[in-house]
Amino acid sequence: MLSLCLESRLEELQRLEAAVEDLGEREQWPPSLLYQVKLVLEEVIVNIVNYGYGERAGHKIDVQLISEPDALTIKIADDGRAFDPLSQAPTPDVDAKLEERPIGGLGVYLVQTLMDEAHYRREQDRNHLTLVKRRDG
Amino acid sequence: MEISTEREGTLLVARAGGRLDSINAREFDDALKAAISDSDQVLIMDLEKVSYVSSAGLRVILLTAKTLQQRSAKLLICSLAEPIREVFEISGFDKIIPIHANLVEAKASIG
Repeated sequence: MLSLCLESRLEELQRLEAAVEDLGEREQWPPSLLYQVKLVLEEVIVNIVNYGYGERAGHKIDVQLISEPDALTIKIADDGRAFDPLSQAPTPDVDAKLEERPIGGLGVYLVQTLMDEAHYRREQDRNHLTLVKRRDG
Repeated sequence: MEISTEREGTLLVARAGGRLDSINAREFDDALKAAISDSDQVLIMDLEKVSYVSSAGLRVILLTAKTLQQRSAKLLICSLAEPIREVFEISGFDKIIPIHANLVEAKASIG
Protein backbone atom coordinates (compact mmCIF):
# COMPACT_ATOMS: atom_id res chain seq x y z
CA MET A 1 0.00 0.00 0.00
CA LEU A 2 1.28 3.39 -0.95
CA SER A 3 -0.42 6.69 -0.26
CA LEU A 4 0.98 10.01 -1.42
CA CYS A 5 -0.31 13.53 -1.66
CA LEU A 6 1.27 15.37 -4.59
CA GLU A 7 1.29 19.01 -5.47
CA SER A 8 -0.09 19.76 -8.94
CA ARG A 9 3.19 20.23 -10.75
CA LEU A 10 5.12 17.87 -13.00
CA GLU A 11 8.26 17.78 -10.84
CA GLU A 12 6.27 15.79 -8.30
CA LEU A 13 6.40 12.84 -10.70
CA GLN A 14 9.96 12.13 -9.56
CA ARG A 15 8.88 11.74 -5.94
CA LEU A 16 5.97 9.53 -6.97
CA GLU A 17 8.20 7.38 -9.13
CA ALA A 18 10.74 6.85 -6.35
CA ALA A 19 7.93 5.71 -4.03
CA VAL A 20 6.54 3.35 -6.69
CA GLU A 21 9.98 1.87 -7.28
CA ASP A 22 10.36 1.22 -3.54
CA LEU A 23 7.00 -0.53 -3.45
CA GLY A 24 7.80 -2.58 -6.54
CA GLU A 25 11.11 -3.63 -5.09
CA ARG A 26 9.60 -4.62 -1.74
CA GLU A 27 6.94 -6.66 -3.50
CA GLN A 28 9.25 -8.02 -6.20
CA TRP A 29 7.16 -6.86 -9.13
CA PRO A 30 8.30 -8.01 -12.55
CA PRO A 31 10.03 -5.19 -14.48
CA SER A 32 7.13 -4.97 -16.96
CA LEU A 33 4.60 -4.27 -14.18
CA LEU A 34 6.83 -1.60 -12.64
CA TYR A 35 7.24 0.06 -16.04
CA GLN A 36 3.53 -0.01 -16.78
CA VAL A 37 2.57 1.43 -13.38
CA LYS A 38 5.10 4.27 -13.69
CA LEU A 39 3.92 5.04 -17.22
CA VAL A 40 0.23 5.03 -16.33
CA LEU A 41 0.81 7.30 -13.32
CA GLU A 42 2.80 9.75 -15.42
CA GLU A 43 0.13 9.90 -18.11
CA VAL A 44 -2.70 10.45 -15.63
CA ILE A 45 -0.87 13.03 -13.49
CA VAL A 46 0.28 14.99 -16.56
CA ASN A 47 -3.33 15.12 -17.74
CA ILE A 48 -4.55 16.36 -14.38
CA VAL A 49 -1.83 19.01 -14.09
CA ASN A 50 -2.22 20.26 -17.67
CA TYR A 51 -6.00 20.06 -18.13
CA GLY A 52 -7.56 19.79 -14.71
CA TYR A 53 -5.70 22.75 -13.28
CA GLY A 54 -4.64 24.54 -16.45
CA GLU A 55 -1.04 24.08 -15.26
CA ARG A 56 -1.69 26.03 -12.06
CA ALA A 57 0.33 24.74 -9.14
CA GLY A 58 -0.83 24.68 -5.53
CA HIS A 59 -3.50 22.00 -5.77
CA LYS A 60 -3.28 18.53 -4.29
CA ILE A 61 -3.49 15.20 -6.05
CA ASP A 62 -3.99 12.11 -3.92
CA VAL A 63 -2.48 8.88 -5.20
CA GLN A 64 -3.04 5.48 -3.66
CA LEU A 65 -1.69 2.12 -4.75
CA ILE A 66 -3.35 -0.88 -3.19
CA SER A 67 -1.42 -4.02 -3.86
CA GLU A 68 -3.11 -7.38 -3.49
CA PRO A 69 -1.88 -10.78 -4.64
CA ASP A 70 -4.20 -10.91 -7.64
CA ALA A 71 -4.49 -7.23 -8.56
CA LEU A 72 -2.99 -3.82 -8.18
CA THR A 73 -5.46 -0.96 -7.75
CA ILE A 74 -4.45 2.63 -8.42
CA LYS A 75 -6.65 5.46 -7.15
CA ILE A 76 -6.06 9.05 -8.15
CA ALA A 77 -8.18 11.92 -6.86
CA ASP A 78 -7.94 15.64 -7.57
CA ASP A 79 -10.06 18.77 -7.12
CA GLY A 80 -9.48 20.16 -10.61
CA ARG A 81 -12.35 20.94 -12.97
CA ALA A 82 -14.56 17.97 -13.82
CA PHE A 83 -12.68 15.97 -16.40
CA ASP A 84 -13.21 12.37 -17.41
CA PRO A 85 -10.09 11.43 -19.37
CA LEU A 86 -11.60 8.07 -20.27
CA SER A 87 -14.57 9.43 -22.22
CA GLN A 88 -13.13 12.72 -23.44
CA ALA A 89 -9.95 11.50 -25.07
CA PRO A 90 -10.45 10.23 -28.63
CA THR A 91 -9.13 6.76 -29.45
CA PRO A 92 -6.18 7.24 -31.79
CA ASP A 93 -6.16 5.47 -35.15
CA VAL A 94 -3.08 3.34 -34.57
CA ASP A 95 -3.33 1.95 -38.12
CA ALA A 96 -3.08 5.35 -39.82
CA LYS A 97 -0.15 6.16 -42.06
CA LEU A 98 2.68 8.33 -40.74
CA GLU A 99 1.50 11.46 -42.55
CA GLU A 100 -2.01 10.97 -41.18
CA ARG A 101 -1.12 10.30 -37.57
CA PRO A 102 -2.02 13.28 -35.38
CA ILE A 103 0.48 14.42 -32.77
CA GLY A 104 -0.57 13.54 -29.24
CA GLY A 105 -3.56 11.75 -27.76
CA LEU A 106 -1.64 8.60 -26.87
CA GLY A 107 -1.40 9.02 -23.09
CA VAL A 108 -4.92 8.03 -22.13
CA TYR A 109 -4.95 5.32 -24.78
CA LEU A 110 -1.84 3.77 -23.20
CA VAL A 111 -3.52 3.90 -19.79
CA GLN A 112 -6.64 2.17 -21.09
CA THR A 113 -4.67 -0.47 -22.96
CA LEU A 114 -2.18 -1.29 -20.22
CA MET A 115 -4.74 -1.45 -17.41
CA ASP A 116 -7.44 -4.11 -17.14
CA GLU A 117 -10.05 -1.75 -15.71
CA ALA A 118 -10.46 2.02 -15.66
CA HIS A 119 -13.30 3.87 -13.96
CA TYR A 120 -14.00 7.56 -13.51
CA ARG A 121 -16.43 9.29 -11.21
CA ARG A 122 -17.01 12.87 -10.08
CA GLU A 123 -17.88 13.00 -6.41
CA GLN A 124 -17.98 15.92 -3.97
CA ASP A 125 -16.29 18.23 -6.46
CA ARG A 126 -13.40 15.85 -6.98
CA ASN A 127 -12.34 13.66 -9.89
CA HIS A 128 -11.75 10.05 -8.93
CA LEU A 129 -9.96 7.72 -11.30
CA THR A 130 -9.59 4.07 -10.37
CA LEU A 131 -7.36 1.76 -12.40
CA VAL A 132 -6.94 -1.96 -11.89
CA LYS A 133 -4.14 -4.13 -13.17
CA ARG A 134 -4.73 -7.84 -12.65
CA ARG A 135 -1.70 -9.91 -11.84
CA ASP A 136 -1.17 -13.32 -13.35
CA GLY A 137 -0.57 -16.23 -11.00
CA MET B 1 19.17 14.83 -21.64
CA GLU B 2 22.15 14.17 -23.84
CA ILE B 3 22.34 12.55 -27.21
CA SER B 4 25.52 11.55 -28.95
CA THR B 5 25.64 11.46 -32.70
CA GLU B 6 27.74 9.94 -35.42
CA ARG B 7 27.47 10.85 -39.10
CA GLU B 8 28.38 8.60 -42.01
CA GLY B 9 27.66 10.46 -45.23
CA THR B 10 23.92 11.11 -45.26
CA LEU B 11 23.27 8.72 -42.36
CA LEU B 12 23.00 10.14 -38.87
CA VAL B 13 23.01 7.83 -35.86
CA ALA B 14 21.68 9.46 -32.69
CA ARG B 15 22.07 7.65 -29.37
CA ALA B 16 19.83 8.86 -26.59
CA GLY B 17 20.10 7.87 -22.95
CA GLY B 18 17.99 7.98 -19.81
CA ARG B 19 14.30 8.80 -19.89
CA LEU B 20 12.07 10.25 -22.58
CA ASP B 21 9.26 11.53 -20.39
CA SER B 22 7.12 14.62 -19.70
CA ILE B 23 9.91 16.27 -17.77
CA ASN B 24 12.63 16.09 -20.42
CA ALA B 25 10.75 15.59 -23.72
CA ARG B 26 11.36 19.19 -24.72
CA GLU B 27 15.10 18.84 -24.10
CA PHE B 28 15.12 15.65 -26.17
CA ASP B 29 13.34 17.47 -28.98
CA ASP B 30 15.77 20.40 -28.85
CA ALA B 31 18.80 18.07 -28.82
CA LEU B 32 17.48 16.17 -31.86
CA LYS B 33 16.70 19.34 -33.79
CA ALA B 34 20.20 20.64 -33.08
CA ALA B 35 21.78 17.36 -34.20
CA ILE B 36 19.89 16.79 -37.45
CA SER B 37 21.15 18.59 -40.52
CA ASP B 38 19.16 19.17 -43.72
CA SER B 39 21.47 16.88 -45.67
CA ASP B 40 20.76 13.83 -43.48
CA GLN B 41 18.72 11.30 -45.45
CA VAL B 42 18.39 8.63 -42.76
CA LEU B 43 18.27 9.08 -39.01
CA ILE B 44 18.75 5.97 -36.88
CA MET B 45 17.62 6.62 -33.32
CA ASP B 46 19.46 4.14 -31.12
CA LEU B 47 17.47 3.79 -27.89
CA GLU B 48 19.55 1.07 -26.26
CA LYS B 49 20.44 3.30 -23.32
CA VAL B 50 16.91 4.61 -22.89
CA SER B 51 15.15 3.06 -19.91
CA TYR B 52 11.74 4.66 -20.16
CA VAL B 53 9.51 6.27 -22.80
CA SER B 54 6.09 7.79 -22.07
CA SER B 55 3.64 9.44 -24.46
CA ALA B 56 5.65 12.67 -24.19
CA GLY B 57 8.67 10.86 -25.64
CA LEU B 58 6.52 9.19 -28.30
CA ARG B 59 5.26 12.62 -29.31
CA VAL B 60 8.80 13.84 -30.02
CA ILE B 61 9.61 10.69 -31.98
CA LEU B 62 6.46 11.06 -34.10
CA LEU B 63 7.18 14.74 -34.75
CA THR B 64 10.71 13.85 -35.83
CA ALA B 65 9.49 11.09 -38.17
CA LYS B 66 6.98 13.49 -39.75
CA THR B 67 9.51 16.27 -40.18
CA LEU B 68 11.95 13.91 -41.87
CA GLN B 69 9.25 12.44 -44.10
CA GLN B 70 8.27 15.89 -45.35
CA ARG B 71 11.65 16.20 -46.98
CA SER B 72 11.78 12.54 -48.10
CA ALA B 73 14.23 11.52 -45.38
CA LYS B 74 13.42 8.73 -42.96
CA LEU B 75 13.63 7.68 -39.35
CA LEU B 76 14.61 4.21 -38.15
CA ILE B 77 14.65 3.10 -34.54
CA CYS B 78 16.73 0.34 -32.97
CA SER B 79 17.54 -1.43 -29.71
CA LEU B 80 14.29 -1.01 -27.78
CA ALA B 81 14.03 -2.57 -24.31
CA GLU B 82 11.05 -4.93 -24.07
CA PRO B 83 8.62 -2.70 -22.10
CA ILE B 84 9.38 0.19 -24.47
CA ARG B 85 8.78 -2.02 -27.49
CA GLU B 86 5.38 -2.88 -26.03
CA VAL B 87 4.52 0.82 -25.73
CA PHE B 88 5.58 1.37 -29.37
CA GLU B 89 3.39 -1.53 -30.50
CA ILE B 90 0.33 -0.41 -28.53
CA SER B 91 0.74 3.04 -30.07
CA GLY B 92 1.03 1.58 -33.57
CA PHE B 93 4.47 3.15 -34.01
CA ASP B 94 5.89 -0.16 -35.25
CA LYS B 95 3.61 0.26 -38.29
CA ILE B 96 4.85 3.72 -39.22
CA ILE B 97 8.51 3.62 -38.14
CA PRO B 98 10.83 0.71 -38.98
CA ILE B 99 12.08 -0.82 -35.73
CA HIS B 100 15.20 -2.96 -35.68
CA ALA B 101 16.70 -5.21 -33.01
CA ASN B 102 20.07 -3.49 -33.07
CA LEU B 103 22.14 -0.89 -34.86
CA VAL B 104 23.80 -3.40 -37.19
CA GLU B 105 20.42 -4.60 -38.48
CA ALA B 106 19.14 -1.06 -38.80
CA LYS B 107 22.16 -0.08 -40.90
CA ALA B 108 21.88 -3.25 -43.02
CA SER B 109 18.24 -2.40 -43.82
CA ILE B 110 19.19 0.87 -45.49
CA GLY B 111 20.94 -0.97 -48.32
